[in-house]
Amino acid sequence: MTKPIQAINRYKADLREMNFLLFEQFKIGNLLGKGAFEAWGEDEVKSTLSSCYRFVKEVLGPLNVVGDQEGCKIVDGRVVAPTGFKEAWKQLYEMGFRTIATDPEYGGAGAPHSVQVLVEELCSGANTAFNMYPGLAFGAAEVIEYFGTPEQKKTYVERMYNGTWGGTMCLTESQAGSDVGSAKTTAVRNEDGTYSIRGTKIYISGGDHNLSFGDNTIHLVLARIDGAPAGTKGLTLFVVPRMRFDENGVNTGSNDVHVTALEHKMGINGSATCVVNFGDDNGCIGYPVGGESELNKGMPQMFKMMNGARIAVGIQGVSVASAAYLNALDYAKDRKQGSSMAHWKDATAPRVSIIEHADVRRMLLDMKARVEGIRALAVKLSNHQDLAKALAGQDDALAAYHQGQVDLLVPLAKSYGSDQAFRVCETAIQTYGGAGYTRDYPVEQYCRDSKIFSIYEGTNHIQAMDLVGRKLGQAGGANLQAFLGDVAKFIAANKDHEVLGADLKRLASAQEAVGGSAMRLLMWFQTGNVTMVPLNANRFLEMMSEVAVGWLLLDGAAIAAAALKELPAGHADASFYQGKIAAAQFYARNVLPGVEAKAALMGNEDKSAVDLSVEAFATV
Amino acid sequence: MKILVPLKRVADPDNANKIKVNGGKIDTTGLEWKLNPFDEYAVETALRLTENGANTKARLGEVVVVTLGPKETETTLRSALATGADRAIRIDAGDDAIDGDTVAHALAALIKKENFDLILLGKQAVDGDSNQVPQLLAEYLGWPQATFAATIKSEADKALVVGREVDGGTLNVRVQLPAVVSVDLRIVAPKSVTSVHTAPTHNYADGVRFAALMQIMAAKKKPLVEVKLADLGVTAAPKIEYVGFELPPARKAGVKVANVADLVGKLRNEAKAL
Ligand SMILES: Cc1cc2nc3c(=O)[nH]c(=O)nc-3n(C[C@H](O)[C@H](O)[C@H](O)COP(=O)(O)OP(=O)(O)OC[C@H]3O[C@@H](n4cnc5c(N)ncnc54)[C@H](O)[C@@H]3O)c2cc1C
Ligand SMILES: Cc1cc2nc3c(=O)[nH]c(=O)nc-3n(C[C@H](O)[C@H](O)[C@H](O)COP(=O)(O)OP(=O)(O)OC[C@H]3O[C@@H](n4cnc5c(N)ncnc54)[C@H](O)[C@@H]3O)c2cc1C
Repeated sequence: MTKPIQAINRYKADLREMNFLLFEQFKIGNLLGKGAFEAWGEDEVKSTLSSCYRFVKEVLGPLNVVGDQEGCKIVDGRVVAPTGFKEAWKQLYEMGFRTIATDPEYGGAGAPHSVQVLVEELCSGANTAFNMYPGLAFGAAEVIEYFGTPEQKKTYVERMYNGTWGGTMCLTESQAGSDVGSAKTTAVRNEDGTYSIRGTKIYISGGDHNLSFGDNTIHLVLARIDGAPAGTKGLTLFVVPRMRFDENGVNTGSNDVHVTALEHKMGINGSATCVVNFGDDNGCIGYPVGGESELNKGMPQMFKMMNGARIAVGIQGVSVASAAYLNALDYAKDRKQGSSMAHWKDATAPRVSIIEHADVRRMLLDMKARVEGIRALAVKLSNHQDLAKALAGQDDALAAYHQGQVDLLVPLAKSYGSDQAFRVCETAIQTYGGAGYTRDYPVEQYCRDSKIFSIYEGTNHIQAMDLVGRKLGQAGGANLQAFLGDVAKFIAANKDHEVLGADLKRLASAQEAVGGSAMRLLMWFQTGNVTMVPLNANRFLEMMSEVAVGWLLLDGAAIAAAALKELPAGHADASFYQGKIAAAQFYARNVLPGVEAKAALMGNEDKSAVDLSVEAFATV
Repeated sequence: MKILVPLKRVADPDNANKIKVNGGKIDTTGLEWKLNPFDEYAVETALRLTENGANTKARLGEVVVVTLGPKETETTLRSALATGADRAIRIDAGDDAIDGDTVAHALAALIKKENFDLILLGKQAVDGDSNQVPQLLAEYLGWPQATFAATIKSEADKALVVGREVDGGTLNVRVQLPAVVSVDLRIVAPKSVTSVHTAPTHNYADGVRFAALMQIMAAKKKPLVEVKLADLGVTAAPKIEYVGFELPPARKAGVKVANVADLVGKLRNEAKAL
């Protein structure tokens, strides 16, 4: 007999750590209470996080395992989401968290992005699969808010922000995955100025569902108009509702959009991954986003919005990794196995909690450092977004610097965040031992759920190529220089730090290694040795991410060390700050030295993988 | 109906392991504070009595929250405003300078200045577990009281039928308003509170409501006034003296028994439980 599904919450978060990042490390207090963030103060931010945490533990968390084990199904041509998702959707929109950073004009609360990413972490960590549905509706609405005609904005944006309608991004086709430009879905102009859409999209998250209040989904579909150029230059983005509707938004009839199949997947089983057919009966109408003037501009439009979506995937990584770590930590305190090394010869020595074993501690601190590191990177990035917004029109040069850092750091947050997430989940399973491999504990699901993060929204190699091919050279290399300069400034200011001095030397060596490797990449481009670039792009992205994360962890540790000195004896925060310092030191001593080693590997210019003939990979 | 809900902040019970005892006193440095859970239930009860459950946006009465404490306790008041209370009062006082009796006197003085129909309190605070303020307050006001409410039925906002939690069941009492009522855990069950405003078929979500984002943002704009103890004519003269605190002893390791007979034997002879 298999065990029944138990709808209980396993999600945990550390709000003290979140508040540390916001108020102590990135000092968002300086941004609050004025300008764009007039309505927000420290109290509002803290209350929001604690209210959201309570909400996700009580409402989204218990449904995480339900979604995983029950999955989605098609009934009478419609996708039915797992039990409980519909009620959760209603409650989420009543709470208003989805639009925390949205313009009040569209019913949002106008919060800083740095707060939004942490709210996102809470929602996604409690239930990644569920959070995809409102997340995609949100992303699609943002595209229309940014690029839509005034009428499109009026019709769609608020309804997609407030849960009336769902939304999707329809890029992928069977022959067009990473290679978006191969899309074959067609659009033919009708006499009334609308377009008839025909084609099949695959892997569409939330391609249909029964959650939204108005039971409609607005698809954003990349399609090629008759006679448009081949490749990405000929793609137009269309608004394609599942159902046609009247001026009040009430469904009036089918728009010939149908989900024909669902994928069976490794993880995020509660999120419907759909094959969507458009115009099987020639009855599917679409409208170009932004109107007739924006034809063939689908890719630039998507690019503009990709930052947000990629940051969101990085946050998915943080969220699941953090939940895995905190669960493993709990388990390690509880599970008794083996005796202390000090009594290794005595078979009758008392059994200890596994957190007493050195190797388990190594795994726990490793997870803690990586989780806090990728979270710091995501919050730093969103802090750049907030500063770019706050400074626009006041100090354009400084605003441009912050925007440059956003562009540069996005591939890092997406790729390093997602890669590390999977690894942290794996370490969490190892920490549990056999129990972690079973469904009695949540970590095996976290591990399965997290694998997709390195694949969708552009695979991590596509991200790495974006970094080395586009971002390093952006603004004449100024963004990279500014980043390396920020790290150097921190090193210069803290190099004689009494607690962290030696670790800053490790950061300095790693930072130099990244600067030198960036030059090497440039040299490969210039000397026509271009095959070396893709062979090393992922490695370089990892090296640069490690420097960014090492820097931010050490920056947090320096702040923690100063705060620790000021604390009265016995203060409950003391162990929190000690933990911040230890995580940074662990990372500096166990991860940063690897950056130099990887730079040396790049210097070897090993081409064996590309030199090998295809036949030689295997004899089958 | 106009309801006053007195609130107390307590050290977060989920972080009980962080509590330290220093020189016979509880060391509060660095502790996380939370609204006392029973007080949260009182706020939820007050909100249910002053709204139509089917349309909670329209207020059909007033809920005022009050606390005694230093400036930081305004965070506690705002958290209650964020779940829907209408306005707040902070009676300025140091954490150490007050005991239940001082609190009851201060509340009584405040209530005499303003007219309230009902004072709703948590039955006790989960830090000291004293369970005194509601009873003392009713006495000082000379009002009827009902303690440990598991159910409340409001009769035309003039009288309440209160189901009191007692051994083996609930005891129903009718109190005329104005009155003092203290609430117990089960008051936040879906159908525990009924009033003339809400259809009897309405089911509330179990527990206390969430603070929605817009309510959190609106809380800042709701009135919060400060009152001095002296303005109320009350001097803090604690009657209770805490002689000392100590942490409970660490739990001892258990023993493994070989079989059921062994277990029963131990229960009978050692634990004397049978
Ligand atoms: C669960 C799930 C949800 C999804 N949700 C959506 C959605 O909502 N909307 C949507 O449009 N799509 C969605 N996708 C599709 C997703 O974005 C694609 O899977 C992804 O872009 C990769 O494309 P592909 O699967 O075709 O892989 P491929 O492009 O075939 O890639 C296979 C491998 O080849 C590598 N590769 C491919 N091209 C190159 C190149 N030029 N140079 C070097 N290496 C290359 C890749 O890095 C990868 O390792 C989803 C996919 C999944 C699995
Ligand atoms: C799918 C599956 C099939 C299995 N099949 C069999 C089978 O056929 N027969 C069978 O007998 N068993 C079987 N097992 C059990 C398996 O061998 C155990 O799960 C494994 O030995 C680990 O023990 P544990 O799960 O109790 O983890 P634990 O021993 O509790 O380990 C938890 C963590 O603590 C660490 N740890 C534990 N003790 C120490 C120590 N002294 N010092 C340092 N670190 C320590 C571990 O490395 C691990 O990271 C199976 C398990 C699974 C999941």
